[in-house]
Amino acid sequence: MTAFRASVRYEFRMQVRKRSVWIVPALTLVLFVLIGGSLLRDLFDPGERPLDPRTGVVGLAVQLHALLSIGFGCLLADRMVRDDRLGVAPILDATPASPGARLAGKYLGAAAATAIPIAVAYFGFAAAYAIDIGQQVAMAWALAAFAVVIVPGLLLVAAFALAVPMIMPAPLFRVLFVGYWLWGNIVSPEMMPTLARTLFHPLGGYPLDALFDFHGIDGEDTWAGPVAGATLNVLRPEPTPALAWLSIVLLIAVSAATLAGGHALRARRIH
Amino acid sequence: MTLWRYEARRAGPAAVLGPPLAVALGVAAAFAYPEPSDTTTARILLGGLEMAVPLAAAVVCSALIGRDPAREIQLAAPTPYRITLLRRMIVVLAWTACVAALAAAVLIATGWWARWPQNHGLVAGQLTWLAPTVGLSGLGFAAGAVLRSPAAAGAIVTTVWAIQQFFGPAVQEHRPGRLLYLFATTRGESPAEWTANRLTLLGAGAALIAFGLLLLGRAERLISEEDE
Repeated sequence: MTAFRASVRYEFRMQVRKRSVWIVPALTLVLFVLIGGSLLRDLFDPGERPLDPRTGVVGLAVQLHALLSIGFGCLLADRMVRDDRLGVAPILDATPASPGARLAGKYLGAAAATAIPIAVAYFGFAAAYAIDIGQQVAMAWALAAFAVVIVPGLLLVAAFALAVPMIMPAPLFRVLFVGYWLWGNIVSPEMMPTLARTLFHPLGGYPLDALFDFHGIDGEDTWAGPVAGATLNVLRPEPTPALAWLSIVLLIAVSAATLAGGHALRARRIH
Repeated sequence: MTLWRYEARRAGPAAVLGPPLAVALGVAAAFAYPEPSDTTTARILLGGLEMAVPLAAAVVCSALIGRDPAREIQLAAPTPYRITLLRRMIVVLAWTACVAALAAAVLIATGWWARWPQNHGLVAGQLTWLAPTVGLSGLGFAAGAVLRSPAAAGAIVTTVWAIQQFFGPAVQEHRPGRLLYLFATTRGESPAEWTANRLTLLGAGAALIAFGLLLLGRAERLISEEDE
């Protein structure tokens, strides 16, 4: 337990002080504001913004989650292999601290630190929006959306980013990860077989639909459930709150399995 | 020649595997599902060349700086380190070009190239993959030179690529956005500006590479504290 707590603290502090952890999300937000059409601007435009505060902050969560998770995954992709590259892994292995506790600590510490700028950006914009429209309830919805939609998605991304670069070079992981993120989240199921809108949807289609009743900013989008004529519809049952929780559990279970796989791989390499 | 061979080996497995994998995934995406029309299939096939290939090359280029364990030795060698890095980048881009040109030749021979109406011909049409590859790789190289962290530079490249994917119409609303849009062949909203877009991307890529080389000329930046 001590090893776990120490790892969390150390990894968190090491990562949160990295300049790039702050530069990358900041540049992303600048680009995002520049292109226009994003909620970062529309939320403060009385003519454009949604009337319902819940739709506003949940829509903001979807946009920021879709975009900032990419930098999040890329930034975390060197955390695990870095210990080997710098030669500290054998030294840490020689300590009495269990490798499992150290891995769990690295995972939660580094992921939490890299998520801090995302949380700052999200809650900052949500608070400004809540004040602007004079409805404090928006902050409560923002907290709920962060916990239920963004956090499970980030946990999955972090698990992949730590474990997968053990079996392929980190740059290749970054390419495949952003390809997967587009394919498994955004691509329309009518266009090609995809995991988008299924129970395994890191962008959180089922929670968005069943827990937040969110159907896009203009209320015309569908984020979960069967799509006529698409393959893999067996993974797209009609959304219910129970299925929404199940999809969250599924994301967390896959994250845990991925980390366990990375741990087993590392243990085999040591012996 | 020995140096070139060495740099080719030093570029790493991601440089070798990335572009062919990108082409393979593009082809798989196009044929995984019976599309409503040949035009859609052709669009996805050309999209693989225009979207996946540049991404693979650019992320590798963004990871060139910050990989050599003993940079001081590189900096003391007769060949300037930035020339070594440029050589590695040329190796990566040349290999990418081989793979992309071969894939384009197969698409032309099988008739899929012609089935996408905005293919812009057989010769000029090759800018479909060349321009975004040079533009995005230039961005990766420059970001690597500024940040000296493959993780951060890779994150910037993938984010710029993803923003243009997610918000294609919004990015193309104004002229600067249209000129710098990476996917003008398959998702361009203004075919009349295609040539200007491609030339702008090539120019921007060249300018960013030059900027990166200029920064790398200051050796003290490379041995000072790096963003691990």
